[in-house]
Amino acid sequence: MTQPVVGTFKNVAGRQRAVQLLVGLLVALVTMAGFTSSAAAEGEAIRVQVKDQQRDAAGKTDNQPVVGVTVTVLDASGAEVGTAVTDDKGVALIPVPGKADYTVRIDESTLPDGLALSSESPAEQTVAGDSFVTATKIVNFFTGASQSESTSTTERIAQRFADGIRLGLIIAMCSVGLSLIFGTTGLTNFAHGEMVTFGAVTAYFFNDLGLHILIAAPIAVIAGGLLGYSADRFGFARFRARGVGLISQMVITLGLSIAAQNFFLWRFGGRDKPYLDYTNQVGSKIGPITITPRDLIVTIVAAVVLVCVALTIQYTRLGKATRAVSDNADLASSTGIDSSKVIRIIWVAGGALAAMGGVFRGLDEQVSWDMGTSLLFLMFAGITLGGLGSAFGALVGGFVVGILVETSTLLGVPTELKVAPALLILILILLVRPQGILGRAQRVG
Amino acid sequence: MKDADDQSAAEPAAADAPSELSEYARVAKAALAGVSPEPGAKKPDPILTASGIRRAFGGIVAVDVEHFEVQRGSITALIGPNGAGKTTFFNLMTGFDKPNTGQWAFDGVSMDGVAPHRMAARGMVRTFQLTKSLTKLPVIENMKLGATGQKGEKWWNGLFPWRWKAQEAEIEARADELLKRFKLDHMRDEYAGALSGGQRKLLEMARALMTDPTLVMLDEPMAGVNPALKQSLNQHVRGLRDLGMTVLFVEHDMDMVHDISDWVIVMAEGQVIAEGTPDDISSNPAVIDAYLGAHQGKTLLEDQV
Amino acid sequence: MDIGAVFENAILQFIGFNACYYAIAAIGLNVQFGYTGLLNFGQAAFMAAGAYGVGQTVSIFGISLWWGVAIGIGYAVFLGLLMGVPTLRLRADYLAIVTIASAEIVRLIVRSVKFRDQFGGTDGLKGFADAYQDVGVRIGLEPAGEYGFWIFTFSGRNLWNLMVGWSLVAIFGVIVWRLMKSPWGRVLKAIREDEDAVRSLGKNVYSYKMQSLVLGGVIGSFAGMMLALGNANVQPDNFSRNLTFFVLTGLVLGGVAKVTGSIIGPMMFWGLYAFLDSLLRELIDKPVRIGDFTLMQSTDVGVVVYMLMGILLVVLMVYRPQGVFGNKKEMAFEGR
Repeated sequence: MTQPVVGTFKNVAGRQRAVQLLVGLLVALVTMAGFTSSAAAEGEAIRVQVKDQQRDAAGKTDNQPVVGVTVTVLDASGAEVGTAVTDDKGVALIPVPGKADYTVRIDESTLPDGLALSSESPAEQTVAGDSFVTATKIVNFFTGASQSESTSTTERIAQRFADGIRLGLIIAMCSVGLSLIFGTTGLTNFAHGEMVTFGAVTAYFFNDLGLHILIAAPIAVIAGGLLGYSADRFGFARFRARGVGLISQMVITLGLSIAAQNFFLWRFGGRDKPYLDYTNQVGSKIGPITITPRDLIVTIVAAVVLVCVALTIQYTRLGKATRAVSDNADLASSTGIDSSKVIRIIWVAGGALAAMGGVFRGLDEQVSWDMGTSLLFLMFAGITLGGLGSAFGALVGGFVVGILVETSTLLGVPTELKVAPALLILILILLVRPQGILGRAQRVG
Repeated sequence: MKDADDQSAAEPAAADAPSELSEYARVAKAALAGVSPEPGAKKPDPILTASGIRRAFGGIVAVDVEHFEVQRGSITALIGPNGAGKTTFFNLMTGFDKPNTGQWAFDGVSMDGVAPHRMAARGMVRTFQLTKSLTKLPVIENMKLGATGQKGEKWWNGLFPWRWKAQEAEIEARADELLKRFKLDHMRDEYAGALSGGQRKLLEMARALMTDPTLVMLDEPMAGVNPALKQSLNQHVRGLRDLGMTVLFVEHDMDMVHDISDWVIVMAEGQVIAEGTPDDISSNPAVIDAYLGAHQGKTLLEDQV
Repeated sequence: MDIGAVFENAILQFIGFNACYYAIAAIGLNVQFGYTGLLNFGQAAFMAAGAYGVGQTVSIFGISLWWGVAIGIGYAVFLGLLMGVPTLRLRADYLAIVTIASAEIVRLIVRSVKFRDQFGGTDGLKGFADAYQDVGVRIGLEPAGEYGFWIFTFSGRNLWNLMVGWSLVAIFGVIVWRLMKSPWGRVLKAIREDEDAVRSLGKNVYSYKMQSLVLGGVIGSFAGMMLALGNANVQPDNFSRNLTFFVLTGLVLGGVAKVTGSIIGPMMFWGLYAFLDSLLRELIDKPVRIGDFTLMQSTDVGVVVYMLMGILLVVLMVYRPQGVFGNKKEMAFEGR
């Protein structure tokens, strides 16, 4: 990777346009006005949310607000700080004097008839002063039976698989770039999760400005491609040219990951937020599974995109060049492939795909500042399973991991720990077949 | 020390008259004189034997050696065109890679499944085609690393210097002696990164000797060495045999092969295609063929120049 | 603006409790990353092992606090083996992936409802540190009393924490320094540069890497124990990815493969952190607005400083990867 890096924009005008676009994008990001305005009033407060936790036929939680419940906040000495009654959103906002330790207590006698706190939700919760991320600390109380057993076993299994396929497609989409960047440059990019978050957050930003998500999403994907472009153009291509070692580059990605994550936390805030469109959809039953039109479309579009990616890699010149560079960069260069150009394209495509995955994930769940980070580990499990550096491996591995994670709850893995089996798979695959399903054993020495 | 004196005394004589053979060389050549020059030939006293060694990467068979023996106390060269599988074969013999099938034995003990670090402990040491001198350690630390059975290499002893200081001093003395023999003593405290390519080859060889080997396997010792150093490198390789060690080396430099080896084994496309004394080999049509095929019209003689 | 208070905060954090347990963690990480070239990106998991080890004794098992040291070490060794066995024979990236993943899973497990009876869920564990604090009282440090001079005035409880913490830093610093001067350390440094060369010389590279990973992890677990005892509680969210990365930032800032670097680096990290944090807090006493757009308010300061620390790590790696005390010639996590 010592050869001089040649920019893809040969003419100056083109380069200027790209820089202008990039600067514009950055300005837009910093001025994400909509986010902070809704973040919180000044001063610290505790936001108590009381929800009736029900499960719909799909087994997904569906929370209904519980209105008219009295909640009280006590300080560390037990003195009352404030009390309030939940509004029609099930929310009670209680201002507190500062970030300190508090106790939040719910008056169970004020719960509507027929509702009781669920077994996993105590009537009293403590808030540690250092757990305030922003000025507002959210405390949740849940009522209702936590598990409704109305669905049959086959339906549950089918439903888990359907959700797993959707998650698997999203993971696969996010990991293509991660795996190919590793394959072509040897770099393990720990900031790749932030590229996913970037896509979701950018789409949210434009959505929040008033653009429909169908318009905001493509903008986010383009922005993701631009982010990938600039990451390589202004960052990693230069590092490669300067001879910055791979481990240093890896540590650089760690630093970028922290910086980006905290940037999102700053501008986007610590709360999960849904996109404004397609939020309240009713699931319809298709065979044994229940799925909302939104989730169905996400699944189909993701599948189509991934098939296109696979075809591109298999049949186009670009795809063949990518595989050649992955295989052996020096050899590829000597056969006339401009490997730095291929790498640039992979960064752009990888960034765009990650952003798209982020938008889909945001539609599927919600948008949050750390959504990419929590997916990153599943992506790693996926590409290790499929074969580090192989594009098809990333597709297959990501898909398998998604299904595995979603179906693990069927085997009694608690929902909060459902990503844990992915670590188990990661360890097992490294013990048994470290090159992954589709990877090849390498010559040693 | 006696070894070092022998070496310096032998050097000028050997350089002037290569035909004047040392005692060890005469023994080796005599032992090999009766061996028929054909692939897979049996040797009277083999230190390394291998049979049925096969290694494939994907669909490509890199090594497929039917039978292979190295005579104890000899200098054996392993030659062949690029991609003949010499380095892969080296990796297989030293445990850095595992063959798909085959058995091999060192000193009569099967080495199948033995980890590389245990091979070195049994007296089989190797160097690498791309020099692996540890550039960020001083030369003397590189040398001391080579010694085996160090008490101070157990972490619980590391905290108590009195348990390893005496041994460390012995090792250091031995390392200094070897550095002197390899004319690296003036670089003793420099980082190995400050050495020239040839000096690094010497350092790697010297470091390998710190393990007290009986079989030394050198992967292209002449690659990247400037011509002025080649003569002295030749002397050092001969010196190894004259200290009672067996040497097996991979080389492209035909001068060196012809000069110093007692026996030559030729590989092409993963197989052993010829064996014999250097003179047998240079007139062997199969060898010329193999090189012609790979070198597109160049003859073996041209290759020597 | 009170610039004096800003510097005061920076100086106090430079020698403060945060710097001291970060330094212990960094000494451990240095054994792995600095000397052996092992990419342990999950030091937080080892710290959690130590913290929960001491936390569980009184709170969960009802045994003496001092067993916690053994339990914490035990957890750390177990984690080291779990991470090391599948990865240490493979190329370096796999360890990075597995450590980062394991740290996340460890955090999810200790904060889960499922294992609340073992680890206390999101509330964590508390009420176990009395025996430790009693020792401080017994040597004459009144918890509420004030000790020291000028700006260096600490409560008895803080002073006790600092005394124990910095003693541990000194002990582990000396241990690692001695080990790295020994032939054992020589093997590690050689592995960092080229493990095949070391293997060819008859050393069991896998075993040495494992020893390094476990030793560094055990030292890291002491950082966690210190954190738990000093705060008298264990919070699962203390052990996030940020913790691992900031320990790493501190280490890189000081200079890898140097004992002094691994100690002074985290001190500088916290000094700098406190400096930026207090400076921004002083500057942003009311929200900074452009039109009706709020750029920054005082509650954003913590997050913005974290962001700046991430950028610091990037800038360091690009322009001064050997850190403040490192030696460029020997600077060598970049062997392969």
